Amino acid sequence: MTTEILPDDAALRAARRERVLAQMEAAGIDILITGREANARYIAGVPRLWLNGSRPFGPGCIYVRETGDIHLVQTWDEGVPPDIPHEHLHGITFNGANTVKMLQGVHGADAARTVATDGLMPSTARLIRTAYPNAELVDGEQLLREVRRIKLPEEIDAIRVAIGIAERALAAAEQAFAVGVTGRQLTGVFMEAMAEEGITTPTTQDVARISSRTEAWANVSRDTAIAADDLVSFDAGVLAGGYIGEVGRTRCLNGLASAAGSLLDTWDELWDRLVNACRAGAPATDLLDAYDASGLPAPPTPVARGLGHGNDLPLVSHALPKTAAEQKLEAGMVLALTGYVWQEGVGAVYGQEPVLITDSGPTLLSANPFREARS
Amino acid sequence: MTPGLMSAASGNRIPPSPDFERMRADRTARVREVMREQGLDAIVLLGNTNVSYATGAIWPLADAGRVNFEQPVAVVLADDESPHLFSPIRSDERLRAGIPNDHLHGPAHLDFDEGVEIFLSRLADFVPGTATVAIDEWTHALRRSGSLIGEVPKDAGKVISKAKLIKTPDEVSAMREALRITEQAIGEVQKRLAPGVRQTELTATFLRTIFDAGADANILDPIWQIMPDRIEDGPWTTTGGLACPLLTTEREVVKGDVLWVDMGISYGGFQSDFGRTWIVGDEPSAVQRAQFEKWRAIMAAVLGKLRAGATCADLTAAAIEVAGGGKPWMDHFYLGHGLGIDSAEMPFVGSDIGPEFDASYVLEAGMLLVLEPIVWENGQCGYRSEEVLLITEDGWEPMTDYPYDPF
Repeated sequence: MTTEILPDDAALRAARRERVLAQMEAAGIDILITGREANARYIAGVPRLWLNGSRPFGPGCIYVRETGDIHLVQTWDEGVPPDIPHEHLHGITFNGANTVKMLQGVHGADAARTVATDGLMPSTARLIRTAYPNAELVDGEQLLREVRRIKLPEEIDAIRVAIGIAERALAAAEQAFAVGVTGRQLTGVFMEAMAEEGITTPTTQDVARISSRTEAWANVSRDTAIAADDLVSFDAGVLAGGYIGEVGRTRCLNGLASAAGSLLDTWDELWDRLVNACRAGAPATDLLDAYDASGLPAPPTPVARGLGHGNDLPLVSHALPKTAAEQKLEAGMVLALTGYVWQEGVGAVYGQEPVLITDSGPTLLSANPFREARS
Repeated sequence: MTPGLMSAASGNRIPPSPDFERMRADRTARVREVMREQGLDAIVLLGNTNVSYATGAIWPLADAGRVNFEQPVAVVLADDESPHLFSPIRSDERLRAGIPNDHLHGPAHLDFDEGVEIFLSRLADFVPGTATVAIDEWTHALRRSGSLIGEVPKDAGKVISKAKLIKTPDEVSAMREALRITEQAIGEVQKRLAPGVRQTELTATFLRTIFDAGADANILDPIWQIMPDRIEDGPWTTTGGLACPLLTTEREVVKGDVLWVDMGISYGGFQSDFGRTWIVGDEPSAVQRAQFEKWRAIMAAVLGKLRAGATCADLTAAAIEVAGGGKPWMDHFYLGHGLGIDSAEMPFVGSDIGPEFDASYVLEAGMLLVLEPIVWENGQCGYRSEEVLLITEDGWEPMTDYPYDPF
């Protein structure tokens, strides 16, 4: 039971920072400025207020290579570890001039030649150039994606915890799954159960969707009453301890096998190919090929994406074939692996599993994997 | 129990329910008008709420970490009344928002060089190379491409900031629905509030009820902060002032705890805001009641000045006068802020942008303002609530109706 806001574990913080510094060293980056919350959390290890949706880029955490100093935009010291002293905390500001002052006040600012950021806005790009007029501005998001790609054992444990919470909250939504309820109501049931578990931060708030029978990758309105023969896609995701756990399932009140018929066999066949492709050293494109080999159309969303903080590698999508071709699956990656098949008049069978790549093969990290739990 | 502000409502200037179709058409027209004023032929929008504003597309927002694989991107042209939407999500009809099929495109992955390359090649089909283009958020992959927006991009965020300031009657109506949903859920939470309940259990009830009541998403991890009597008993702060809002845990509340609550949801592309002070399992003491009355006096003074034509400084001066000379708001925030597609947007009143800004900023009819003064007596805790107001030519209209129970 958590009754206190604490920083992330000291050893985990140290291990993550060591990785970031090594990459900064290799890329010759003097100062790394992060605005994305997951990146700031990765470096500072400080839980901050969760807000939903994308946020405009603004400097939230500053990491200085030479000194190892971390500066954080955080008005108070709750949850801040002792390795970030009070003088490195900066109050929230609505004034660009104060942001420039903060950026320039960092020890080593004058000497900075290369400054990386994990995002940009036209206005903040100007502020950063004002603060560091002699520095070259480079891509910090690319660097951090690389750093976060392979998970540490402690990170895998944290992802497992998040998955467990997502699955238990999902079980509550499945309990409430009945003729006449709506996807919006089931989302409420999921969210309530998640919070009763002690976690109040979801990664998705569209938990149950009736798949369209007339169009692939489309869903019926959230307020439509669920019918006994609807194929309903469930998406459960939570952010716990700074790590994301997500699973996806399809359910039908009449029984999935009878409602989906041969479409379920198609999904199983696709899934076998996808899981078999999850081998350390294999090209990521093997995952894309699984769809082709099953004679299925390319999905518009990624077949696999890294799980952990969001914005994780690999990103394996038919929409980015060259990017997929440049990536290899490696031991220590955690994937959100997605199988999706659709048939006119029937709807969609969808399943998503967290998969850890190991040297001895793929490991499913969920307690009740979609396929295994059916057999 | 002291009733909410709605008892002061003067009439029915707000439509009972929003016409989303008309709202969308009005907004697109407004965005294109501002684009023409700013000499822009096209704008590219990545920010979730900006995309929603410019296209009318509504989807349940997700954690920021999901952005790089499912972020919808909008492109608005000055000479085309339909916006373009790039999205992997096909979802329900509210995402498509009446956008014609030939304006709906696949996903745009703008964090990746290949994604930018594909996006730009699609864009070339409908945005001429000579067009003046602005963008609200700029990824490094876009910057590397050097295309469209050059070395110093024009800021499309300014187009939306300007367009969204004045709310249309349909927007105000949708906003009131967002606030109503919030208040309905808060009513359920307050019923559960008792000694021994955990903060996260209050969140559980809130989250369950907002969806039952029609919310699209929760937008902020709800705050149920147990306030200390003295600033020194809370965390250290950069300002020396009060640490607030602090994060929710599984801590149990006990009889007599003073809770400052703060939360918001999204509905129809709008974000709500709600704040009250509660006392767990007890009636307010004489000191607490006096703090509440002081807060009401500050609020009344500010509302007395609130009308189209007033400046932000008129409001801060009124609040400071009643408070007895000090600023009756938190140092790191403000006396008030705008509300609409974002939970805190312009105008900011009394923020660290500074007194000159407050003095120069003239409020206009159709703006929505959240006022959040505080009363703090170090050693005896304090009182904080929020009210949402629509600014009118002759004053203001209340947007919320939640009572001040237990005050």
